[in-house]
This record gives sequence, C-alpha cells and structure tokens, in this order.
Amino acid sequence: MNSTNGNLLEVKELRVYFDTDDGEVKAVDGVSFQLKRGGTLGIVGESGSGKSVTNLSIIRLIPEPPGRIVSGKIIFNGTDILQLQEAEVRKIRGCSIAMIFQDPMTSLNPFMKISRQLMEITQLHLGHTKQQAYDHAIRMLETVGIPEARARADSYPHEFSGGMRQRVMIAMALSCEPELLIADEPTTALDVTIQAQILELIKTLKQATGTSVILITHDLGVVAGMTDHLIVMYAGKVFEQAPTRELFARPGNPYTRGLLRSVPDPTDERGELYQIPGLPPDVAHLPPGCPFAPRCERAEEICRREYPPFVELIPEHYSLCHFAREVYEDSKREAEVGV
Amino acid sequence: MSTEETNLGSSQAELPPTGDGEPLLSIRDLKVHFNLARRQKGVVKAVDGVTLDIYPGETVGLVGESGCGKSSLGRAILRLNEPSSGQVLYRNRDLAHLSKREMRKHRRHLQIIFQDPYASLNPRMTVGQIVGEPLDTFRIARGREAEQRVQELLETVGLSKRFLKRYPHEFSGGQRQRIGIARALAVDPEFIVADEPISALDVSIQAQIMNLLEQLQREKNLTYLFIAHDLRAIRHVSDRVAVMYLGKLVEVSEAKTIYADPLMPYTRALISAVPVPDPEVEATRHRIVLQGDVPSPINPPSGCRFHTRCPYVIEACKQVVPPLIEVKPNHFAACLRISPEQPDIEKVAPGDAPGLGVARASMESPITQ
Repeated sequence: MNSTNGNLLEVKELRVYFDTDDGEVKAVDGVSFQLKRGGTLGIVGESGSGKSVTNLSIIRLIPEPPGRIVSGKIIFNGTDILQLQEAEVRKIRGCSIAMIFQDPMTSLNPFMKISRQLMEITQLHLGHTKQQAYDHAIRMLETVGIPEARARADSYPHEFSGGMRQRVMIAMALSCEPELLIADEPTTALDVTIQAQILELIKTLKQATGTSVILITHDLGVVAGMTDHLIVMYAGKVFEQAPTRELFARPGNPYTRGLLRSVPDPTDERGELYQIPGLPPDVAHLPPGCPFAPRCERAEEICRREYPPFVELIPEHYSLCHFAREVYEDSKREAEVGV
Repeated sequence: MSTEETNLGSSQAELPPTGDGEPLLSIRDLKVHFNLARRQKGVVKAVDGVTLDIYPGETVGLVGESGCGKSSLGRAILRLNEPSSGQVLYRNRDLAHLSKREMRKHRRHLQIIFQDPYASLNPRMTVGQIVGEPLDTFRIARGREAEQRVQELLETVGLSKRFLKRYPHEFSGGQRQRIGIARALAVDPEFIVADEPISALDVSIQAQIMNLLEQLQREKNLTYLFIAHDLRAIRHVSDRVAVMYLGKLVEVSEAKTIYADPLMPYTRALISAVPVPDPEVEATRHRIVLQGDVPSPINPPSGCRFHTRCPYVIEACKQVVPPLIEVKPNHFAACLRISPEQPDIEKVAPGDAPGLGVARASMESPITQ
C-alpha cells in the first residue's frame, strides 16, 4: 500500500470553488503539498485563506452544493480519494484519516454518553463487539488523560470541561489508530494552560503511535513547536512552503515576513508593532495579479498585473512571489545579522 | 481624596506606586458576586476582593483564563455589573455607590470597547448613527456639528467617511472593532476598559488594532484597562500587568518584569504555556504543564485558590488565603511560600511558608487582600 516516495498524502493542484450570491468563490485554488509518513505539517493562514476547506476536501466533507471540487488529486496511501465512491470514503473517514475540530462541544453529540460515542467508531470500523468496544473506549479515555476514565465514561458531553471534551475528541479520533490525524484549530477555543496540555498530549500520542499529523492554526506559536513542515496560505493559495525552522528563520514571502513581524515578541520593548496594512482579501473579488499585492509593501507594477510564479528557493522551500529570491536574500541577511 | 488617603494609609505600601501623583482610579477590595438561580443555592464569586490603582496615562493589562473574573472586574468599574461591595474611587467619588443617574454622568469619562465586534453594534443602525448616538445621549453635539464630529471620529480610527451610511454587517471584524472604538471615543473619555478587543480578530488585524489603541493613547492621553487572555498582546500593550485567578489578583508588576521574572507559581505556568513563535526556542525550552482544569468559581478552593493545581502546594496553602505582598520592588505576588528574602519558588526550603505571618497580620488590618 505504501507509495514509493515515502509520502502518506499528496495533494495535487486542488481547486475547490463555492457558488455564492457574490459569485464564484475560489476558496482553494491550485493547492499542492505532500505529507511524509510520520511527519507533522502545519497549515497557517488567516480567516478565508482556505486552510479548512483544503482539509475538509481531504476527507471529502465539502458540502456540495454550494461547494465543488473542481479539479486536482488527493492521493492517500496511493489511492486518489477524489475518485472513490462515497461508501469507500466512509471506510477511510474516521478510521485511517481522523479529524479533530476547533469546537469540541459542537462536534460531540449532546444526547449520547461519551462511552457510546467512542464505541460507535470501533464497532463500525473495527467490528468490535459491545464489550470489546466499551473496554477499548475506556482504554482510549485513559490514554488521553481523563481522570477516573471508567467512572466518567458514562457522562454526557456537557458534564465535561472544554479541555476534557477536546481530550474526548482526540480519544475518538485515535480510536482506530489512524494513519493521518487532521487537527483543525484544536486549541483555539481553549485557555493557554489547557492549550499547553492538549498540545503536549498530541505530541506524546504522535510519538507513541507514529501517526502523521496536519495541524491547522492561525497561531504561529503553536506551529513553531509542533510541526516539521509548514504551509502558509493566503486567499486560497499556498504562498510559502518550507521546513518549519527554515520558514521561521528565512521567510521567502512578503506575507509570511509580515505575519511573523506582526506577532508581539515578549522580549521586545514596547513600541509600535509591525502591521500588515489593509484588510484580508475578499476571495470573491480578487485582483488580477498577486492577491496580496494591495497589502504588500514591496509590490511593484508587475505584481498588480501578473500572477506570481511559485519559486523554488532551495530544495523544499517555495514561495509564491515575483520577488521571491530578493525577499529570501533579505531574510537571509537579516538572519545572519541577528545571530 | 484626603479622607480616603488617611483611611487607606496602612495599605499604601501595598499598592504599586508607579506614575506621578494620584491614581486616576482606585479600586478597593471590590467584590462582584452573582447569585445562582433559585434552585441551586450558592454564589459565584466572580471578583472577590480586588485592590488596584490605575494611574493616568498608563495601560494596565489584566490577564487570566476564562472564568477568572477579569471581564466582571472591568464591567464592575463602569457599573455594567453591580459591585457587591468595595469601592471604585474616581475624581473623589466612589463610583460603586453612586445612584444610577449620577453614574450615567460619569460614564462619559469611562468607556468600554467590547470583545465581539459582531454582537456589540446594533445591526439596524448605520455607522453614522452608532458613532453619533453618544453625542446625542450626552448632549455633546447635534445636527451639523454632530455630523462633523462623527466624520472626524471615523478618520481618527482609520475609516473612510464614505462608510457613514453603511450598516455593521458590511464590515469586516477589524473594521467593526474600529467602529466600536470610534463610539467609545465620541464622548472624549479619560479611561477605557478594552475587554478582549483583539481576541476575535485575525493576526494581521490584531496588530493594526493594537497600534491604533496605542496611537490614540498618545494623542488623547487615555488610560486603559486592557483585558485579554493573550499574554503576548498583553505584554506588548501594557505598562503594568495584573494576573487574575478565580476572582483574585495573584500578581501585579511591570509588564516586562512579569514576563522575564514571574514569581507566583500560577503566573510562571501561564507564561511558560504560551507558545513562542520561534522553533529554536520551542525545541529547547522547558514548559510547565499544569494538571487539571480551572476549578469552578462557585465553590472555589479554600486558602490559595490555586492550591489544587500548584506543584509547590503545602498544607498551609489549603487553609490560608495568601495576601498580595511586595516581594520585589514594585512587584507584588500572592503566594505564602515566597518572600522578599526568597522570591524564587524553586529555591524555597521544603515546608517553608514565610507569607503566613503577613497573612495573619493583614487579616487584622482593615484592608485585606
């Protein structure tokens, strides 16, 4: 089943469009990336960048209509998910590809006991008997650190705190030992100290099971510590792609540079914070050239006219920009001075 | 203010004296308790005895996790929640004990910016009406003059006057937050409670709003109480930071000190939990991961409210409420186990609780923490 190049997942030229009153919205427009077996990929972007739509496409959860997967390939373990019948997708979804969402309260069924929600999965996917499924559910709850798992398994979701619910979601996601775990803003709704707990948990479980992870977030701090590769998305496109350390040290795209600079650094003195001017793009009405050009401090005539190329700066590091090399050289110089 | 000063003389040493002269606002032992619904007996002690001075022109950052009472405190200052006891001294008046009508007059000087720019603007009013309403309410301007003023306000917050006739739904989150700021500024306030003003915004827009608030502060000499759970933002905008846990202040100091040298175990964990946007740092640093959740404020733990999650807990912590004491110059922390002699919790001798004596003494004085 292994694909030859060690990639668990390959997304190729994915395009997902939505029909809205405002016209056609190209939510995801030509997105490509790979995820190595055992790797952790971070996808960073602001609201409307297409990061969540990309990942919903991977498990074929795009509502059609209004959504439409226009073209592209999503090759998981050698098979193109987009070519599968719905019944076949259902075998993969929740089993070999599992997902956790931002808001655990809305992703759990409020009328079902936690134990039953967990049992459902393994009864369906692994053919467990009731007893096997129950025991497995308890084991999973223990794995994710629910204290007194056996006593609390028969509680309802509302009896759990936000952090505990997210643990339950993780337990559900990992029930069938998925090969790929997609975590969409898993800690955004949680407090910092609880966020730290959940991130530690995902890290430990990942090491124990070898699951590959896609982590979607808007928080650059979260991806810095959790991922080995990063994708930065803007207006439905991949703006930059690189190994995490490389991207943080030497960003090759003006948008990434702006994002990194606009996060307050706790060691800095108080002063004006760098800000990216303007507003996030209106994806229904993108300008003809580079979608970031109206907000970009280095934009020139060509940026407003022509769509930028996806430049390979060094192996594994790509940037969507007319001036990718120049921006990269600037970052390199700054990184050297900084050290 | 003179009478209060003599009354509060004993506690003056307890209060961080930064800035020059008198505080703009003095919060004294403020409590906000909410009764639960009839069937469930009990009270939520959202704010349970907070004492804090805020000086003119400074930004005090108030941080804490959800349910710690930070918003209740901010709202109680403006009487949007009724304080159960305590004082909020402003211009020789105790806001907590004014009649509703008198309070309304003062609200002109004390304004608030809300977290959710979607919920805090009336969807049926145009931007011009929203920003102009306070001018009318407080009889500041009307007619042509009011229109003029609204246009100026929109420009001040970086919005085009073309937007006057538009409705809130036509704007993005960041723009709506600007409208909320313009509305707060309409009455020329001295003091603004900014209650999580950037939490609902995208990263690139957060920076814009933080810069706008700082620029306005410089231009108009505003004083802010900036409430947030994002420690990176708090560190950036604040002069001083107050950390809150289950209704009580547990640490108060200058913003840079609290980040570089947190003293109270909860603050230490909170700061260490914040992910740093630097992979090199993340790979090497040690993170304190607290066990368990924040307990319910309905039946908060006895003694130090953090004792259920504290790695340094000893028996005394479960019984005695630690007072907020000046552990280092201008750096206040509420922990029985640390003291000016040994401020580093890591180095405190096993079983040591030098704060116990202070706690007992303060229980006898009129102003307790």
